Amino acid sequence: MDTWQILHIPDNPPIAPDQQPTVDVIASLIDPEFANTLVRRLNQISPLENLRHVKRVKKKFVEGGKTQLSVILCLASENGNQLESMQNDVQELMNSYKLSPFITKVCKYAALSKEEWEEQCKIWPTSYHPPTYNIDGITGFSEEDSQSVFRFMKYAIQLAKSSDNLVVNAAVIVDPLVKQVITTACDQTCSSYSPANKITLETSCCEKLEAFISHSDSDGILNHETVHSNSFPDKSKQLCTGVSCLYPWQWADQQSDMSSCYWHPLRHAAIVAIESSAARDRYLFPSLGKIQDKSFEMDHMQSSSAGSLAKRQKTNSTNVHSDDNLDANGEGSSSLSVRPYLCTGFDMYLVWEPCIMCAMALVHQRIRRIFFAFPNPNAGALGSVRRLQGERSLNHHYAVFRVLVPQQILSREG
Amino acid sequence: MASLGEEYPDDTHTFMLLAIEQAKVAMDCLEVPVGCVIVEDGKVIASGRNRTTETRNATRHAEMEAIDTLLEQWREKRLSQSEVAKTFSKCKLYVTCEPCIMCAAALSFIGIKEVFYGCANDKFGGCGSILSLHSSSSEPLIRGGAPRGEGFKCNGGIMASEAVSLFRSFYEQGNPNAPKPHRPLAQQATQ
Repeated sequence: MDTWQILHIPDNPPIAPDQQPTVDVIASLIDPEFANTLVRRLNQISPLENLRHVKRVKKKFVEGGKTQLSVILCLASENGNQLESMQNDVQELMNSYKLSPFITKVCKYAALSKEEWEEQCKIWPTSYHPPTYNIDGITGFSEEDSQSVFRFMKYAIQLAKSSDNLVVNAAVIVDPLVKQVITTACDQTCSSYSPANKITLETSCCEKLEAFISHSDSDGILNHETVHSNSFPDKSKQLCTGVSCLYPWQWADQQSDMSSCYWHPLRHAAIVAIESSAARDRYLFPSLGKIQDKSFEMDHMQSSSAGSLAKRQKTNSTNVHSDDNLDANGEGSSSLSVRPYLCTGFDMYLVWEPCIMCAMALVHQRIRRIFFAFPNPNAGALGSVRRLQGERSLNHHYAVFRVLVPQQILSREG
Repeated sequence: MASLGEEYPDDTHTFMLLAIEQAKVAMDCLEVPVGCVIVEDGKVIASGRNRTTETRNATRHAEMEAIDTLLEQWREKRLSQSEVAKTFSKCKLYVTCEPCIMCAAALSFIGIKEVFYGCANDKFGGCGSILSLHSSSSEPLIRGGAPRGEGFKCNGGIMASEAVSLFRSFYEQGNPNAPKPHRPLAQQATQ
């Protein structure tokens, strides 16, 4: 791999592109001269109701630069006797144009990806409409947004490499509206880091944040990170054993004396990052901790907000009584008067695909998009072993992307 | 998942009552009322209740709170990882609502022995309702991976009506911090 790339991981497992289900149709070669008339007539008398993605006409170039056209007359019936089960008007059309019908296959379902579509067209041409969801990026990223995604992923990878000389998973929560890092965390299932008491944690979290903002360029990305390891261990699996989401059961098998270390079987990077973002929220908006303050969550807004990040749910720190106020507060991002509900509208960058515990934690905390660099064949919950983004019963859904990382980023020194 | 409670040991209801007490504490703090206790050798060694509103951390479910309490206790006693793992493998959890997908995974990772829960969790349940993480045990897909946990025994429907009525009164009193229910209240299971 030598270029950056962002791949959407869809809600449903992709079918092998060349193994898509098909249905039989009755088609016939036609004289190109009559194509328009025939297609118009067939669309009236024999519309392809459940095959709207299938093109009526197939064009084939034959020897001598000529084109050969075939047209779908109708669906083939389930039982054998095709001609008798055909509608009368289709039969009439067939007879009057002296068509010789044959049975052929077309793909049963519309293509979900460009790859599927290309395979479909080998059988019979179809049309392809990329999905239109309400989360930015699923239908593609602008150049500017792609660059921003790559920079945040690079930052996450640097964090993963710089922790304790052991490669761990790293998590970066980002506000994509202002391209600002909200918080970062690494795995703490086994580390020399010991969390201080809560007040220090909150303070240091926000000091770090301020330091980060002041050190960062306009993209919110640090440039002075130093990286000590010179190769990234997606090939040397030995080093990857520090990645909690890859080996969530492994904490119990630690042989070495870890009594001096801080360890916790469940402190995976994503969990720690969520905790840290919650601490940041309490620090930045302390008054909201009081019981009389009200914050509303409106799940239905997520489906109706049509992809506009600016319409992200907001809660007003003083007095929110109706849904309407939320949209009015949609401008801006981290001003002290408004705060997002949990991590609504935020993106999560993870070096490795999260396990099911972390993936569900990110649902609970209302993350909007997840970007990960490496799949987790052992316990990955976003496409590798499970596909949590496709569980429709959940009350929140995020979009999932894999970011392909150029090799030189992984092996680069410093 | 087993059917309703008769075949359980006598103390099942006793421990579930303690979990319900925890759920009531959560409700008094305007938290979604879910509570739990963890039991080792017939003794309650930790309890927990939902703290998602207070912490603004939606992962602070009762189970996670109780697990963290135990880990903190054992850290002070300087227990090793293997000692902790061994103790967890003797522990039973009693929780008022079916553990969510996140908590069910966490319970599998720590290697809990058995879970008893009250009402099912139609939206998020990780012990049979949506996913079945308690029964998942398969070979790791990449070589050198640690073998997956054996899962844990799971028993649902214990004093479920009490758990549901707590949810109902919580939403009827008007939860200022959580979503308006989108479904009939009886189905609402929010952890």
